[in-house]
Amino acid sequence: MTDQSIVTVRGVTRRFGGLVALDGIDLDVPRGIVQAIIGPNGSGKTTLLNALSGASHADSGSIRVDGEEIFRLKPHRIARLGLARTFQNIRIFGNLTVLENVKVASACNVRTSLFNVVASNARQKLTEADIEQRARHALELVGLAGRAGDLSMQLPYAQQRLLEIARALASDPKVMLLDEPAAGMNTTESMTLLVTIARLKAGGITILLVEHNVRLVMGISDRVAVLDFGRKIAEGTPAEVQRDAGVIEAYLGRRHRHA
Amino acid sequence: MKQTVAIALVAIAALAIPAVTQDGYIIQLLNIAILNAIVVLGLNFATGWTGQINFGQAAFYGLGAYATAIATKSGLPWIVTPVLSVAIVLAASLTLGLPTLRLRTYYLAMTTIGFGEIVRLIIVHWEPVTGGTSGLRAIPGISVFGVGPQGQIQHYYLLVVILALATLVAARIRRSALGRAMIATKDSEIAAEQSGVDTTRTKLLAFMIGAVYAGLAGCLYASSIRFVSPDSFSGVQAVLLMTMLIVGGMGSIAGSIVGALTLTILPEVLRFLGQWYLVLYGLGVIVVIVLLPGGLASMIAAFPLRRAGAP
Repeated sequence: MTDQSIVTVRGVTRRFGGLVALDGIDLDVPRGIVQAIIGPNGSGKTTLLNALSGASHADSGSIRVDGEEIFRLKPHRIARLGLARTFQNIRIFGNLTVLENVKVASACNVRTSLFNVVASNARQKLTEADIEQRARHALELVGLAGRAGDLSMQLPYAQQRLLEIARALASDPKVMLLDEPAAGMNTTESMTLLVTIARLKAGGITILLVEHNVRLVMGISDRVAVLDFGRKIAEGTPAEVQRDAGVIEAYLGRRHRHA
Repeated sequence: MKQTVAIALVAIAALAIPAVTQDGYIIQLLNIAILNAIVVLGLNFATGWTGQINFGQAAFYGLGAYATAIATKSGLPWIVTPVLSVAIVLAASLTLGLPTLRLRTYYLAMTTIGFGEIVRLIIVHWEPVTGGTSGLRAIPGISVFGVGPQGQIQHYYLLVVILALATLVAARIRRSALGRAMIATKDSEIAAEQSGVDTTRTKLLAFMIGAVYAGLAGCLYASSIRFVSPDSFSGVQAVLLMTMLIVGGMGSIAGSIVGALTLTILPEVLRFLGQWYLVLYGLGVIVVIVLLPGGLASMIAAFPLRRAGAP
């Protein structure tokens, strides 16, 4: 299992004071699939995502991405190793253009010296051209190429979400974490998002999807892990998880009763 | 294209000024304004683009000026002073930035305020070397192997050229991965990190590049104005430099220059008002901040010159 897994999580624990937000999570994500992580509010989904991306480190455990231990690395190191993410609350660079937003990420493994920048020499121009070409490619993939020159804060909400995906994509990741990418989207926008996610998967990127919209999750995911109170209570294909009594009790069942 | 035209017009205007007036007082005022513009351009890296509040810029300015004054008065050739000034401000900014820029929020602001005060106290109390409160006079001028500008108008032309170079360097950094990383760090530090930007390094670089601008401007100040005193580099001056950046327009190259030129020249223009000038000056600053949150640069941007877009 571990050999084919691109992400291997072992015993990841995170405490906030007395609250155990993550309680010894194990997770193996096979290469090239869409892995969903679902669970009721406060079950630890975003905490797990933050631990994976380095935004907020876990207290103990081990996280490997493509064989490399990333536990407690700084986020930019993790990003350069091939794990990109989007945010539940949009965090675009509002004072940069759409294209520049994506160029920030497509430059992530490019090294250039201040001397080259100031001299604006041939090597610098080549570097910039390469960064720009990969950024434009990412924008095309999410359908934002037409807005490349616009200031990113002027984009409508759903397009800002797509911009975050383009930005994550531009760092050429092996794994992409999407934190509630459909939040605040209408049906048409969610459909566009589904197409985009399918395209990413076809491009060989492993997707980790945290999402509230159960229908969206079940439709697109290859595997689903269910968290409740910081523990993984079930894992399997969408069909298996939907039949799981514990899941129905903890999550789907509770929702059904409320609905 | 329009930008090229605008730059050409500004360049012609700048070069034509000495043809209109040869008044030594006006040219000297412009020279100081240009030096301030270089310092504020430097401040824009850390504060305007990277979002780090830096009150140490006046102290870096002073370090460059005093290092140059002391070195040349003790007989060292002028040519070593830019190198010396840069070395000193690089060491100082690295020492200040390394421990504080790893942290978020206002630590840099507090550290640089303290640093400015330390530099001022050293200048005031180390009298045998710095001349104390009366400063240092008769500083040798710019001279590269015996060649150097003579008189204020030649200094003016030299400073215009150096300001143009400083602007060009700032514009090139802005259009590079480093410039984008700076603005990304300001807009969202965590998203920048997750996009592969080493935000600590980016903040440190922005702070140090800005310090180099101030150090070099200080070097030129000492050897073109030929007189330094602690007042020119005090905490008040640090706040004034920040005001120039805000009034001109945070994060705008044109705004940094316009803000520095305006706020250096304005007090002299308003001098006929006597003590009332401060009231008008203060009101003017408030009006700009309230009515033009983007600074004077947002007025310039209203003409379609500054398309933040296609670099």
